[in-house]
Amino acid sequence: MIEDIEQVAQRYARYTALGAAVIAGFWHVGYDLTVTVAGWRDFRWPVAAAAAWIVYTAIAVIATLSLARTSRGPARIRELAVAALAVDVAVIVACRPGDLLGVSDWGWGSVGWLGVMLAWNRPRWRTELIAFLAANAGIMLAAMVVTGTLDRVSIAKYLVVIVGGITMQLGYTAGCHTLRARAEDAVVLARRLAADDAWRESARRIHADRLRRYDAIRDAAESLLKQLADGADPGDHRVRRDCTAGAMRLRRLITEREEVPDALVAVLRERIDAAERRRILVTAPPFGGNLPELPAAVREDLLRAPVRALDGARSRARVTVSAMSTMVSVAVVADNDDLPVSATPVREPSGVVVTYQRQGGEVWVNSIWQAP
Amino acid sequence: MGQQHLAGPVTGPVTVALVEDHQVVVDGVRSWFSPPGPVELVAQGPTIESVLGTAADVLLLDLNLNGTMVVGRVAELCQGGQRVIVFSEHEEPETVRAVLDAGASAFIGKGRATRDSCLETIMDVAADRPNVTPPMAQAIATDERPHRPQLSDKERAALLFWFQSMSKASVAARMGIKERTVRQYIDRARIKYAAAGRPAPTKEKLLICAIQDGLIRPDEVTVYTSLAARSGEGPGAGAGS
Repeated sequence: MIEDIEQVAQRYARYTALGAAVIAGFWHVGYDLTVTVAGWRDFRWPVAAAAAWIVYTAIAVIATLSLARTSRGPARIRELAVAALAVDVAVIVACRPGDLLGVSDWGWGSVGWLGVMLAWNRPRWRTELIAFLAANAGIMLAAMVVTGTLDRVSIAKYLVVIVGGITMQLGYTAGCHTLRARAEDAVVLARRLAADDAWRESARRIHADRLRRYDAIRDAAESLLKQLADGADPGDHRVRRDCTAGAMRLRRLITEREEVPDALVAVLRERIDAAERRRILVTAPPFGGNLPELPAAVREDLLRAPVRALDGARSRARVTVSAMSTMVSVAVVADNDDLPVSATPVREPSGVVVTYQRQGGEVWVNSIWQAP
Repeated sequence: MGQQHLAGPVTGPVTVALVEDHQVVVDGVRSWFSPPGPVELVAQGPTIESVLGTAADVLLLDLNLNGTMVVGRVAELCQGGQRVIVFSEHEEPETVRAVLDAGASAFIGKGRATRDSCLETIMDVAADRPNVTPPMAQAIATDERPHRPQLSDKERAALLFWFQSMSKASVAARMGIKERTVRQYIDRARIKYAAAGRPAPTKEKLLICAIQDGLIRPDEVTVYTSLAARSGEGPGAGAGS
C-alpha cells in the first residue's frame, strides 16, 4: 500500500513538472513559431527573432531534460535565466518600435514559461520565479519607456498581458506545488501508519512469545511444586537447581524491555531457551536496547562461536552482550568440554574477532565487532 | 559511621541494613550474613522508610519495591553520606549508570551474585575502597554520554572483559598482564567515573581513599570540579582538588 501511495506521489511530481514543459512547448511552437514565420516581414530584424526562438528552444530542452530526470529545475539556473531574459530583449529589439505591444513581440508573454520550468520544485522556487517574472515585466516596461509607448491603450495592453501571463504561470506552479505537497503528506502519513502497524505486530509477537514462555515456566513451577508437595527434599541438589533455573528464567522475563526485537538478541534468546530446555542453568544479564544496526554477515560471525559454546554447555552458561554505537561484543562462558578452541584470535572476513580461553573447567568465547 | 579506612582498622563487623520486599531474598541474604561473619544485618524492611534512621555502615537496596522503581530516591539516600549498594536484577547499563551517578557506591546484580562476591563488595564499600561488580564494569565501559570520563583503551578493555569473562584471572590471561594490574585498571576506571559524576558525599569518600591508597593523584580529580561548574549544578566540592 505504501508503495502505491509513493508511486502516486512520484507521478504527481513528475507529470506536473512535465505539464509545465508541455504548456511551454505548445505555446512556443503553436504561437511563437507561427508568429515568427508568418510575420517574418513585419520584424525589423527577423533573423534576431529566429535566433531568439532557437535559444528559447534550447533553454526549454535543457529544462525539460532536468524535469524529466529529477522532477526539478536545473541545478544552476542563473545563466539560463539570464539567457531567457536575453531572448525577451532580443525579440523586443527584433520588432519594429511600433509593434512593441503587437502580435509579433512574442517574447515577453512567453519567456515566463521558461521561468516556470527553470524554478520548478527548487528549494527557493517562489522567490526565484517571482524575481524572474518581475524582471520580464520590468524589461518590457523599460522598452515601453525607451520607445515612448506610454499611451493609455498601450499601458492597458501591457497590464492585460502581464497580469494574464503571470496569473497563469504562477497559478499553475503554485497549484501543482500544493498538489505535490498533499501527495507527499499522504506518503508520510502512510509510512507512519505502516510503522505503527509494524510496531503493533512486533509488540503482539513479543507478547505472544512472553506468554508462551510464562506458560512454560508455569508448567515447570507447577511440576516443582507438585514434587515438593509429594515430599521432594528442598535440600536435594537437583530440586534446588531446578528452582534456581526457574527463578532465573522468570527474572529474565521481568527485565526484558525491548519493544522491537533485535535480530542478534532474538537468536541469542532462542538459543538460551533451547539450552534451558536441556536443563542448562543460563544466566544472561539484560541485553539492553541500544544495539547498532549490523550487517547480516557481521551478526552471523558475532553469533557463530558463542552460540556453539552455549549449545554445547554441559550444565551452566553465562551469556553477555556489550554494545556501544561502534562496538558489539558477545560472550559466552560455559562448561563446554568439547568446543575446539583456538589459541590465537580468529579474524573473520567481516571484521569480527573471536577469542577463546579455557580456565577452571570453563570456556570463555568472546566475539567482538568494531566499526571500521 | 563508615570511617574505617580513614580512622584505622575495622573493630567489629560491618553493619548492613537491607531494603527488600521479597521474603525469599531477605532469607537468602540473612543466611549469607549469619554470624560469625564479617557482616551483620542490623535492620531489614520492605520500604526505604522502614529502615531509615538505622545506623548502618551500608544500606543494601533493592530497586524494585512493590512494583515501583526507586532509582529516583538513591540520590536522596546518598546525600546524607549513607553508603548505598543497589541490589537488583535490573542490570541494564542505563539503570546502573543512573544509580552510580546518584551516588550509589556499588551495584550488585542479583543474577550473578554469590555470597563471597556480595561480602567482598560490602566490605570494600564500607571501607570506601573502589569495588567494581560486572554490571558496573559494563555500565562504565559502554558509557557514551558527553560528560563520560575519559578511559584509556586498557581500562575500557579490562572493564568489558571483566563483565564478559569468568574471573579477573581470565582477564589477566586475555590481556597478557598480571591480575594486580587488571584490578588497577578496573579500580582506576571506577575512580574516574566517580570523579566525573555529580557530587555526592559517598563519592567524595571514595575519592579521598583512592588518593590515600595512591590509586590516583589529587590533581587527577580536577575534572570533577570543572564538570560541576560547567553544568551549573551548584558549588563543586571537588574532593582532593
